Amino acid sequence: MRERSIIHINVADFAVAVERLVDSRLRGRPVIIAPGGAARAAVYDMSEESYQSGVRKGMTLGRALGRCRDAVVLPPRPARYERAMTRLVKHALPFSPLIEMTDHNGHLFVDATRTGRLFGPPPDVAWRIRKAVRTDMGFDPIWSVAPNKLIAKVATRMVKPAGEYVIGAGEEQDFLKPLPVHLIPGIEAEDLKRFGEFNLTRAGHVAHLSMEQLNIMFGSRSDSLYHAVRGIDSSPVLPVGQKPPVVVADHEFANDTNQVAVVQGALYGLAERVGADLRKPRLTAGRIKVLLDYSDGRRITRQAVAHPATANDVRLFVLAKRALERAWTRRVGIRHLRLICDRLTYPPAQMALFAEDEKENKMSDTLIFALDTIRRRFGFNAIRVGRTL
Amino acid sequence: MIPLTVRSYYSLMWGTCSPEKICAVAKQRGYAQLALTDTDNLYGLWPFLKSCERENITPIVGAELTDPVSEYRAVCLVENAQGYANLCRLITRRHSDKGFDLKSAVPDHARGLTVLTQNPELLSEWYEAGVTTAAAVPRRPNGTAFKLRKVCKHLGVRVVATPGSFFPDPDDLKVHRMLRAIDRNTSLSRLTPKHAAPSDAWLAPAWEYAERFAVWPDAIRAGREIAERLTFTGPCSGLVLPPWGNSQGQSPKHLLRDAAYKGARKRYGDDLSETVVDRMEHELRIIEKMGFSSYFLVVQDIVSRSPRICGRGSGAASLVAYSLGITNVCPIKYNLYFERFLNPGRSDPPDMDIDFAWDERDEIIDSVLKQYNGHAGLVCNHVAFQPRMAIREVAKVLGLTDPEIGRVTQRLPWFWREVHMNDDLLSQLKQLPKLGQFDFPEPWQQIIHTARHIIGIPRHLSVHPGGMVITPDPLYTYVPMEIAPKGVPIIQWEKDGAEHRGLVKIDLLGNRSLGVIRDAIANLKDNGTDFDEDHWEPEDDAATQATVAGGNTMGCFYIESPAMRLLQKKTKMGDFEHLVIHSSIIRPAANEFIREYIRRLHGGKWEPIHPLLADVLEETYGIMVYQEDVAKTAVALAGFSHADADGLRKIMSKKDKARKLGHYKERFIAGARERGVTHEQIHAVWDMMMSFSGYSFCKPHSASYARVSFQAAYLKTHYPARFMAAVISNQGGFYSTFAYVSEARRLGVEILPPDVNKSDIRWKGRAGAMRVGWLSVKGLSTSTRTRIVAQRKTKPYHDIMDFLERVQPHDPEARSLIHAGAFDLLHPKESRASLLWELACRQKSRSARSGSGDLFNVRRVVPKPSFPPENQTERLRHEFSALGFLCDRHPMVLYADTLKKQKIVKAGDLPRFIGRHVCIAGLLITGKVVHTKHGEPMEFLTFEDETGLVETTFFPKAYGRFCAILERNRPFILYGKVEEDFGAVTMTVERVDSLPNSNKWQTRL
Repeated sequence: MRERSIIHINVADFAVAVERLVDSRLRGRPVIIAPGGAARAAVYDMSEESYQSGVRKGMTLGRALGRCRDAVVLPPRPARYERAMTRLVKHALPFSPLIEMTDHNGHLFVDATRTGRLFGPPPDVAWRIRKAVRTDMGFDPIWSVAPNKLIAKVATRMVKPAGEYVIGAGEEQDFLKPLPVHLIPGIEAEDLKRFGEFNLTRAGHVAHLSMEQLNIMFGSRSDSLYHAVRGIDSSPVLPVGQKPPVVVADHEFANDTNQVAVVQGALYGLAERVGADLRKPRLTAGRIKVLLDYSDGRRITRQAVAHPATANDVRLFVLAKRALERAWTRRVGIRHLRLICDRLTYPPAQMALFAEDEKENKMSDTLIFALDTIRRRFGFNAIRVGRTL
Repeated sequence: MIPLTVRSYYSLMWGTCSPEKICAVAKQRGYAQLALTDTDNLYGLWPFLKSCERENITPIVGAELTDPVSEYRAVCLVENAQGYANLCRLITRRHSDKGFDLKSAVPDHARGLTVLTQNPELLSEWYEAGVTTAAAVPRRPNGTAFKLRKVCKHLGVRVVATPGSFFPDPDDLKVHRMLRAIDRNTSLSRLTPKHAAPSDAWLAPAWEYAERFAVWPDAIRAGREIAERLTFTGPCSGLVLPPWGNSQGQSPKHLLRDAAYKGARKRYGDDLSETVVDRMEHELRIIEKMGFSSYFLVVQDIVSRSPRICGRGSGAASLVAYSLGITNVCPIKYNLYFERFLNPGRSDPPDMDIDFAWDERDEIIDSVLKQYNGHAGLVCNHVAFQPRMAIREVAKVLGLTDPEIGRVTQRLPWFWREVHMNDDLLSQLKQLPKLGQFDFPEPWQQIIHTARHIIGIPRHLSVHPGGMVITPDPLYTYVPMEIAPKGVPIIQWEKDGAEHRGLVKIDLLGNRSLGVIRDAIANLKDNGTDFDEDHWEPEDDAATQATVAGGNTMGCFYIESPAMRLLQKKTKMGDFEHLVIHSSIIRPAANEFIREYIRRLHGGKWEPIHPLLADVLEETYGIMVYQEDVAKTAVALAGFSHADADGLRKIMSKKDKARKLGHYKERFIAGARERGVTHEQIHAVWDMMMSFSGYSFCKPHSASYARVSFQAAYLKTHYPARFMAAVISNQGGFYSTFAYVSEARRLGVEILPPDVNKSDIRWKGRAGAMRVGWLSVKGLSTSTRTRIVAQRKTKPYHDIMDFLERVQPHDPEARSLIHAGAFDLLHPKESRASLLWELACRQKSRSARSGSGDLFNVRRVVPKPSFPPENQTERLRHEFSALGFLCDRHPMVLYADTLKKQKIVKAGDLPRFIGRHVCIAGLLITGKVVHTKHGEPMEFLTFEDETGLVETTFFPKAYGRFCAILERNRPFILYGKVEEDFGAVTMTVERVDSLPNSNKWQTRL
């Protein structure tokens, strides 16, 4: 396999960094990102200062505050992080078509293999991206250049919270050897525990073991561990992919709720929004999905198929309601609803089998058309369905 | 209008109010007669009858019966005693017959009952079968009712208007719907009409029903006519004693006499003294007069099923019981009065409590139930919503998540019960220090408000721990019965209900310490030591007395708690008589009297509160100690009759005592005043009497306990390894295994690690050492434990592979065993990592076996890697997570380096620092929250380091600051002042710090 150059850009404590951009008073102060008020009182992210005081991700907020009393607590704002992430990617886009961001958490892999002739050596590219990000956004990201994603990630972990690291091809194993195993991505808590039982604390210890020996201790996990501790990672940088077209609408409840009327009202509002979005380019949806987030973070998706495909609010709602009924099995409050329409097609020409149905469909379409007309002229809220009030 | 179908909260999870409240409401709404018809039960019969009497309402007894399959319903109202027995039978069948069919069951037991139903099919069927029946139209006439009326006209049956109520007021609908949502495990908005009562299902005033039924005035009239026939106002009372079946035709009286004398000769020798004979005759006379002979014989029969029991309660005052082997304390030697147990003036059934070793009890109960099949059952408990459960359930219905709910409920004090609450629950919660920082945002206010109405509502039945009733006639003719989930028959009433009906209860309870004593002695005998139990008098052993006097009684029955050990230390008294006093005086409400007692004990001057009491309280230094002191004082000071005084004593241990107690207080004050007692003296005595409310012992009971305490203390003193091994093996003591292991180490016992060739399931002791048993190795299943021991009996294990092959443990079990050190003796030179490698190889070869067929294929091919050397701390950490303690050292030793930098005083050195401020480091072992006079919470905590225990006090200020960070089994540094009180050293803590770098341990500990 040809030699690769992977750049890893990492904005440390991304959520905190984004918040600090918005409010400069937070700089230098310990910050904890965790949902305020009632639910999900687990730490989502924290600043370096809080980390030093012993705060960790997933810890309960109460315990975190016990360890870091003067921390500022901010609620997570995923939309804000998503926007910042998009802006971050923008600075890497000129250098490679292969850019991977797995989540909105400040990590970016850029495949700079063989781009030298265009942009110069990869470390220069990384340095330029960092500079651009710093100038535009005010972050100071850590960066590394390595032969693969795994080594690149370990390298940034090594220098966190600030700095850079370049590792050349062939240096992977020597680089990992003295490092504690927990620094290597992909090694799970169970594996770490098992390593501990065998007194294997450093990557070099584990690298001493043959594949057969590892196989005895770890079974099916041995293959990935064998490669991980040797710094072997052939996984490609997955570009920001092309996804099939969908129409999506979201509703976040101000107060988490488990009341049927409230949830269905919100769902109808979503059906209206996706309906309008579908009708604008004259599309119809062949399938409707409901994604539901409970207060405790559990998420569930259920779907319903439309026969024939439709863009009519009323029919969309009927389908969405069916999907909701399948998804909504618990009584824990619902925090967030998302309606996703896919299998988008142009409206089918087929008429309903029975004249009665056809007549009803027509009436319903006429009604929606009338609503659309009014809304175009006087705004969306000029006319509303009772249950969305 | 007579309300003929009214449900209370005993219609579980449907009704919202107590029978008491319903009676009060009915009275207020002008009803003079009232039926209580709960669904499939008579749980609320006694509270209902009592409240009716109080409100001057004529009660109608009844119940609603449901069909489990068709969901048909019928209300059965009792006309006479036969009807009552039939109703009990029907309800019993409803709960215990698998294929219960309402339609066919009712006609079989319909005599003496009037049956109302809304179902036309049932109505015609039962009418044909000759059942006295009528059609019920609940709440208001509607479409279905009109159809029903047609059927009735056809049959010539009456239509009756009924309230069909589930709650007394319209406002209670909310509570009702909340209960339904909790029961259905759903949210309010998803509750369907089928699963909740309609909004008009409240108990309206008569005029409202008259209006609603204006079209059918005859339906109202019919209700009155039916009610006239229902003259039954409750089952008769009078004692129901267990029968004594005797095939030889001898009367119980003679049998008892023979058995008692035979037993007495065994206890006292063949030549019985005059005292014994006189006392025996006196007791036998009273027993016979009151008809209790068969009762004693039945109890003796039950007791004889186990070689080791502890009879307690007032029954321990009886020489007959002592002779029969029911109790173990000589009532003559220790001055116990028989009249406390039985006297002709007493109308309520006496209590006989018997403890069995905890692991033998279920078997004994089963054998008794089998012997008296159909005539015996256990008393039940009506388990009500307590604050924690109510808050949790309401919050769940409103959609809160578990962590959110936990943030409030986990901070509620552990034993916070309904009785501790007042009406304003929210502000009360806000005052709890652990919830001080929580501001109760919505929907918490709503949750707390609703929860307040739900607290106290019964939710389900549970089995009373051991209360057994045995009756001459089948039990279901006295009371409806059910089958508890664990398969035993239970009656539908709690112990008070059983007592109202006169059913005499025998308590068969489980006691861990009897198991401890049994095991320790068995261990001794296994070791070849001769131990004569028949002539064992531990009370007279000087060394044991010294152990008791020094409070070195961790592990000993009833005297091992920190409070009790401190009391022992302060009194420095180790004789039996004083221990009997101490076991009794150590009550939650008696703190100030305990202090005064210690002062007087050490020669402090005292005068009896009043000369009238001088004799009464002579043996307890003028302080009321025993339950009977309350009664005796009431007689001596206020001229109560013995029966009245006993009534007062009993009321104090009841839940709803406030009202009755007020009445007794007035009489007490008046009586005492007549005898010239001053106002101050009266109140001082009354306050002392009130310290007995809720929880107190009578002297015979204390003496029985003290006897077991002494047996335990004797074994601990002379055979510490065997005793501590038995304490740990029987589990469930006051302290954790960790704490007991430390105690054993302090006693000089060596803790031998578990070993595959030596350990048993239970811990075993020998002189100077005890071996860890398999039950303390975490994650080991019962079947694996048994297999280890069974396989070893054939031949010892020669290496780990041999063990794994023969025992076939699961992987986590084997790993736990390796970390616990169970193979260290077999493989002294190999590290645990290398043993784990062997295990991994075997697991691999097992999974490959199906394919290759060669067992050791993999081992031969793959060489063992050379693992990095073992780190001692890591090894101990693994050992700790496998065992919960360390065998060869105290975990605090591991912090020695960290602690060196600080000026730490060791627990063992504390007595040298009295009055000074010091700093100690230790692990939290146990603790107890109490309340100050002003209601502020504070805590007594016990910490431990490698040299000993430290009893600490956290006053409210320190408690409020540090309660949130204090966790069990975690090391802390404590700063505070060393105090001394009558020789007992404690520390008053002012500040707590976590030990640096203790996090790693903390996650595992």
